[in-house]
Amino acid sequence: MARRSVGATVRLTMNDAPASSHTSAVVDEVQRARADGAPLRIVGAGRWLDAGRPVRGERSLHLPALVSPDIVHYEPGDLTLTVRATATLGEIDRVLRAEGQWLPLDPAGGMDGTIGATIATGSAGPLSSAFGTPREQVLGMEVVTGRGDVIRSGGRVVKNVAGFDVTRLMTGAWGTLGAVTEVSVRLRAVPSAEASVAVTASAADAWRWISASEYTPYAAELVTPALARALGVGDAGTLLVRFGGNDALVRAALQSLATLGEPRPVEGDVWSRVSMRDAAGVAVIRLSARPSRLAPVWERVTTVLERVGGEAHATPRRGVIRCIIPLGEGDEEFSRLRGISQALRVDATLVAERLPAPLWSSLVPSTASDPLSRGIRAAFDPDRILNPGIFGELT
Amino acid sequence: MNDLVEPLRAIVGERRVLARAGELRTYESDGLPGYQKRPSLAVFPGTRDEVVAVVRLLAERNVSFVPRGAGTGLSGGALAEDVVLLGLHRLKGILSIDADDARAVVEPGVVNSSLGRAAAAFGLHYAPDPSSQTACTIGGNVAENAGGPHCLKYGVTLNHVLAITALLPSGEIVSLGNADGETDGYDLLGAFIGSEGCFGVALDVTVQLTKNPQAVRTLLADFMSVDAAAHAVSAVIAAGIVPAAMEMMDAATVQVVEASIYAAGYPTDAEAILLIELDGAAAGLDDDAARVTEFCRAAGARGVRSATDPDERARLWQGRKKAFGAMGRVSPALVVQDAVVPRTKLPEVLAEIHRIADRHDVHICNVFHAGDGNLHPNIGYDPQSAAEAARVHAAMSEVMHACIAAGGTITGEHGVGLDKMPYMDSLFTPATLQAMCALREVFDPQRRANPGKVVPVHACREWHAAPSARPSA
Repeated sequence: MARRSVGATVRLTMNDAPASSHTSAVVDEVQRARADGAPLRIVGAGRWLDAGRPVRGERSLHLPALVSPDIVHYEPGDLTLTVRATATLGEIDRVLRAEGQWLPLDPAGGMDGTIGATIATGSAGPLSSAFGTPREQVLGMEVVTGRGDVIRSGGRVVKNVAGFDVTRLMTGAWGTLGAVTEVSVRLRAVPSAEASVAVTASAADAWRWISASEYTPYAAELVTPALARALGVGDAGTLLVRFGGNDALVRAALQSLATLGEPRPVEGDVWSRVSMRDAAGVAVIRLSARPSRLAPVWERVTTVLERVGGEAHATPRRGVIRCIIPLGEGDEEFSRLRGISQALRVDATLVAERLPAPLWSSLVPSTASDPLSRGIRAAFDPDRILNPGIFGELT
Repeated sequence: MNDLVEPLRAIVGERRVLARAGELRTYESDGLPGYQKRPSLAVFPGTRDEVVAVVRLLAERNVSFVPRGAGTGLSGGALAEDVVLLGLHRLKGILSIDADDARAVVEPGVVNSSLGRAAAAFGLHYAPDPSSQTACTIGGNVAENAGGPHCLKYGVTLNHVLAITALLPSGEIVSLGNADGETDGYDLLGAFIGSEGCFGVALDVTVQLTKNPQAVRTLLADFMSVDAAAHAVSAVIAAGIVPAAMEMMDAATVQVVEASIYAAGYPTDAEAILLIELDGAAAGLDDDAARVTEFCRAAGARGVRSATDPDERARLWQGRKKAFGAMGRVSPALVVQDAVVPRTKLPEVLAEIHRIADRHDVHICNVFHAGDGNLHPNIGYDPQSAAEAARVHAAMSEVMHACIAAGGTITGEHGVGLDKMPYMDSLFTPATLQAMCALREVFDPQRRANPGKVVPVHACREWHAAPSARPSA
């Protein structure tokens, strides 16, 4: 098999050791936890532990201590990568850029998060506008289930319908069915031209341009006035747009955007700054609706969040708004946040990312509590030792 | 089974239940040649309520069934042996098209290209385009997670389905996915798509439609070796150009097509041709076309020409899409195989396929989605000749194992069905197959829907045993 060496500045190394030598330690931990009846909290880079509901875990399954972040297989000509789940997005990006390739995943929290956690939580950022969520990019994975079995689903080719789709099931399952130890993903070639610009626009106008345009921006993200100011890209509601392609395409796309408003050049790092906005001490909820019906939701979000000092960004093409709400102190706080959430969620689906622990049960119904989901959980993690409680599942 | 006929007729009407051997002949085969499996009876509900009533009756009676759309599947997934065949092709309703959000809600029996025609009025289309699109149904596409040439750029069925109302084999109705926003929790929709009729049937499907591209460039490049064509494919992809489609046909395929009524003007002395389509915004498209032409010439293309009008484009595509039909003309039966290999392995795997064909004295034509590494080696043969059928079978088995050995998979878009089950043990570990069985049993605890397909039954035993009770291997 073709192997590529990677530069000395990159920590990741090629390691084609059989999966078992990397994974058996995880199996041992899961088996031990099962025998002891001691639930596990699965931990990757440990950067996002306050996301999701509180986990009733007595022990940590600290994956980076057990699985080294090696590249298992990278053949640039195939535009696919197989890597241990503990590799961070930043480490992967450095390896890929050296070959003129990239992985268009930009979840909240930035590039220090692991790819395993990104996929396990199904996290997506502005790039999902064009490239979809992890669901669209994962080709296969290795997982240690709550039974302690090692499953290798999917593969490392870009099209695959062999067998039932356990890969999709594991993506976004928040580790409740298994700990992800290795993943294969689809890559893209870096385009010859890229440009990021900001345009002042209302949500309705932005959607009209996006839905009518011949151009598919890599990202088109609405930001509230507060967020626009914080990013230094404007002081009103703003559409941040990222184009990629050949020179002629990017030039024409920028011209077309001028029909929406005067495009202002912005630094390319504006995207990483968007993904790094939610520091500690905030609640994060996502609202979603049909893309054509997002504008009124966005207007209400903007008004409500201006009042409470929050900010939001939205991916109109997916119909998703991500609201970042600062948390105060004191007993009033929970009822205040409950009020804000109730005001925001009208005509929209609410998915919470981060909330104060006591608020989960009253604000968000338990997820994965339908009979199919319960059956799946019971099949893959019969003793409920993996991240129990993270979906608010009934016991 | 006979005691089912009257209650089923009470639901769907006299003529919509077939039980006599002669009537059932049509339903003994699907697109996979060489198999005749007779269903115990066939039932064809015409409305959603009838489907629900039929499946609930079958659940009450604990009877197994095989869902079937148009029966164009190529892996034997719609073959029903001594069980009820549930035909869904009469549910042809396009329930709504929402131009603002570019989506449609359709019943499972809607033919793929009918949806495309309905969407065209809004400047939209449905992107997955299997070669059988003039006959195959959206329900069948969902069951197989169907692909097609244009999936290189636009993705497969999974990427175009937003929500499904599914009828589980128990008769329970569940909503999968969310057409009005995000879903939280397990990706049940993703699990259902591609479940080959084993998890239940779709009552309605909400699909994402795609805006018609502003401009299209269709190129035809011909090569004096398959290797050279494969290298051109790799060069284009590596350069970051994502064509809408990049299809390869070898000499054997070109000659068969050109001798048929689907003749497209392909050069018959070429060893391989590439049909490459670029689409999107007009700006930059000619630059990409120029670069693709350069890559083809650098890889050794004899000629590269561009379709100059929509008619020529349609003719070039007709040759590709009807290649299977053209092959069908020259032999009584045609096995259309399906496997995927990493793109960089295309030259060596194609060479290996040639060697396998020679060794078994069979004639293999290759016509496939080169941009995805999705091979379709096809063998025309006479199923009446047991000796020839055996040689074909042996050759196909070796082709599958060659693809697995190259790091590939046994099916990219046709499904496992009956045909690919023997290879599942070579592709997946026992624990992985057991996990698939467990997932199936969540949707269908008694495994009554499409029994005996996809995952070999022997793989499912161990999962049920407690770890301590497992036999020591």
